[in-house]
Amino acid sequence: MTAHQKVLARKVGAHAFLICFLILILVPFVMVISASLRQGNFAPSRLLPDKVSLDHWKFVLGIPYQEVVNPATGETRTVKPSTPPLLWFWNSIKVSVTASAGIIFLSGTAAYAFARLRFKFRSTTLSALLILQMFPMVLSLVAFYVILDFAGQYVKWLGLNTQPGLIMIYLGGISNYIWMIKGYFETIPASMEESARIDGASQFQTFIRILLPMSLPIFAVVFILSFISYMSEYPVASVVLQSSDNWTLAVGANSFLYEQEKLWGRFSALAVLSGVPITVVFLLCQRFVIGGLTSGGVKE
Amino acid sequence: MSLNGGFPIRQILVALVVLPALYLVFNIYQAGNSLIALAMLIVICLGAFIYLSDLGYTYRYLFPGLLGFGLFVIFPIVYMVFLSFTKYSSQNLLYFERSLALLRQETFPVGDATYKYKLYLEDDGTYILYLENEKDPTKRFVSEPFELKAGEQSKGDQEPGVLRALAPGEEVKGRPLEVAQVTREKLFIPMRGRQFALPGGTLVGMEGLQKFASRERLWTLNPDGSLTNKKDGAVIRPDFRLGFFVDKNGEKVGVGFRTFTGLDNYIRIVTDPRIQGPFFKIFLWTVGYSAMSVLLTFSVGMVLAVVLEWKDLRFRNTYRTLLILPYAVPAVLSILIFKGLFNQEFGAVNQFLRGIFGAAPEWETNPWGARTMILLVNLWLGYPYMMLICTGMLQSIPSTIYEASAIDGSNPLVDFFELTLPLLLPPLVPILISSFAFNFNNFNLIYLLTAGGPKMVGGGIAGETDLLVNYTFNIAFRDSGTNYGLASAIATVLFIIVGLLAWTNLKLTGRNVKI
Repeated sequence: MTAHQKVLARKVGAHAFLICFLILILVPFVMVISASLRQGNFAPSRLLPDKVSLDHWKFVLGIPYQEVVNPATGETRTVKPSTPPLLWFWNSIKVSVTASAGIIFLSGTAAYAFARLRFKFRSTTLSALLILQMFPMVLSLVAFYVILDFAGQYVKWLGLNTQPGLIMIYLGGISNYIWMIKGYFETIPASMEESARIDGASQFQTFIRILLPMSLPIFAVVFILSFISYMSEYPVASVVLQSSDNWTLAVGANSFLYEQEKLWGRFSALAVLSGVPITVVFLLCQRFVIGGLTSGGVKE
Repeated sequence: MSLNGGFPIRQILVALVVLPALYLVFNIYQAGNSLIALAMLIVICLGAFIYLSDLGYTYRYLFPGLLGFGLFVIFPIVYMVFLSFTKYSSQNLLYFERSLALLRQETFPVGDATYKYKLYLEDDGTYILYLENEKDPTKRFVSEPFELKAGEQSKGDQEPGVLRALAPGEEVKGRPLEVAQVTREKLFIPMRGRQFALPGGTLVGMEGLQKFASRERLWTLNPDGSLTNKKDGAVIRPDFRLGFFVDKNGEKVGVGFRTFTGLDNYIRIVTDPRIQGPFFKIFLWTVGYSAMSVLLTFSVGMVLAVVLEWKDLRFRNTYRTLLILPYAVPAVLSILIFKGLFNQEFGAVNQFLRGIFGAAPEWETNPWGARTMILLVNLWLGYPYMMLICTGMLQSIPSTIYEASAIDGSNPLVDFFELTLPLLLPPLVPILISSFAFNFNNFNLIYLLTAGGPKMVGGGIAGETDLLVNYTFNIAFRDSGTNYGLASAIATVLFIIVGLLAWTNLKLTGRNVKI
């Protein structure tokens, strides 16, 4: 075998490997789409639906449709969800966007102090932030419950079963992001801010007018990462949000899969309709995210 | 310091935040939570000081973040460590005072006087109770107006309502409700928990649905904290280790209360075979699962990254984008999708395997089947992250070293094991450790995919695939006898393990040195 043939064989091998791998990886997506279009509520198991029906999609979008109750007589009834499941997707977007914006504000300001200012216990605080954040959020549920129950007695819209309450709790998860932003700030030389100070700008002005505009990429990364992690957050949301019109996507999607009756069709339609936009946005922002990942964020 | 010259914009902003906050503190104080009000007041003063005085300048940037962190990360940890030293479960739910008050409200019927009753609904929505002695209809009593919420169990902590004698011929105002009506409108539910005092001081309460009878409090409180039963003279005293009132035979009486028990919960983890057996089994699985997950995702991610780094390969970018897809889809959705695909009877995976081999693994009922499924799903979820990280690292390796080794007549495999891997591993160690720690606490995956199942034989609520964090969650929230104290103790142990991991990681990265 010549050297050229050797390389060619390797290329064919690499393509074959990648294509086989991709088929394995992507088949689940095809099956979910097929399950969402299939009549009846079957677990995803076919590449192509045998009998195409848009009923599940209609259900998720909150459009009423006719369902055959008795095949012998052809009797039908109108099915319409009390809460259109796509509302959960919208709730998730609201909660995740607000929480991520809050996270950016809280971690951005704190990161500035850690990167640019000198104060006592600075490095100790930084390490403590990182170590304490390792405590899993799920196990804080008892305390979260106590806090929200208490808050709700005085401020109704901040209590249990409210989205602002859930957002408030999400705002605690800032330490990874403080580290990421601080790392980015440190790569920007302080000389520009220093010369602005000499020209009479206040510290706050140098932060807002000089450092922030230069750091937009890292804020984009933090926003995307925190947005994604809150879109997928299940346990806290499931305890805090009790009524179904408040649910987030994660809680709602899981509610279709009761132990007794698993509504795979409806779940699949919801997964497709809400998963596609998020995936597309993520892929569009891919470049940003990859840059940020190498500075140490773990998707949750 | 303000942005536009002399205008005190900062002071106004501070006032806009502080004033409503002070109003809130006032409300909380008025409601009787003076300690919490005090704590809030201190935080508000601190905040006002930081934002108004130049001395607090640095902390202006830190205050909001650290406040949020303190409230939603540090407070829960402190609270949990505190709970871990207490007995606090569904059987020991109330504070001691409430538990004592409940006992003190217990009454027993005395004498033989019984009363017919009527409820009068007043125009303003309040109620008046009317009583008439069954033997002597001239003895009639009427209460002050009081409020009732239909169908709602009364907490039983109100003071007894005052009854006054009704003069002969005097009528009660309002719309009378007969007994049947009271029953139908579910008013008897809150009524049952209420006591009324006759002019002489004798208490009366509902006896069944039809009538009222005079009753007396069952327990009298002795100076030493014990209680004496008026009917039979038995004495019970609180046992603060047990969290119950006990009689002289050690039998529990009344409702349990929360109590401080020191290290009991921790000792239980180590000694109680019902906890200890599952605990160590779950601990081993958690470690094994985390290690395997890191190893698998890293290997696959690394191989893909290396293959995609090959410059002459066509469609590299298309491959890369498609390979990232599992990372882009929200994990909750993908986990639930896999739950369907791996469905033992109807799922795609088993239909496919049955079609080819005629047999299929039991993903749901066999512990090792379930574990394999979890690792496969986690591989699918996790390899893109490792691939992205490795790609970033690979690009930082200068290509000249490969050229040098090519001259020596090397091949790709040798290159990989002798050049790439040794160069990549050291900077990747911190990422591998944090990935390990993340998987160690990957609650969602297990909870949504298997819910811990299949059940561990003889392990109580423990499941074969439960991670420590799921097991703790089950003890705290899903067990029929939810046990917050024990769950908190396990959570504390868990926190120490993961905290140590994070600390090691910090030391290894030397991030500290750079600060």
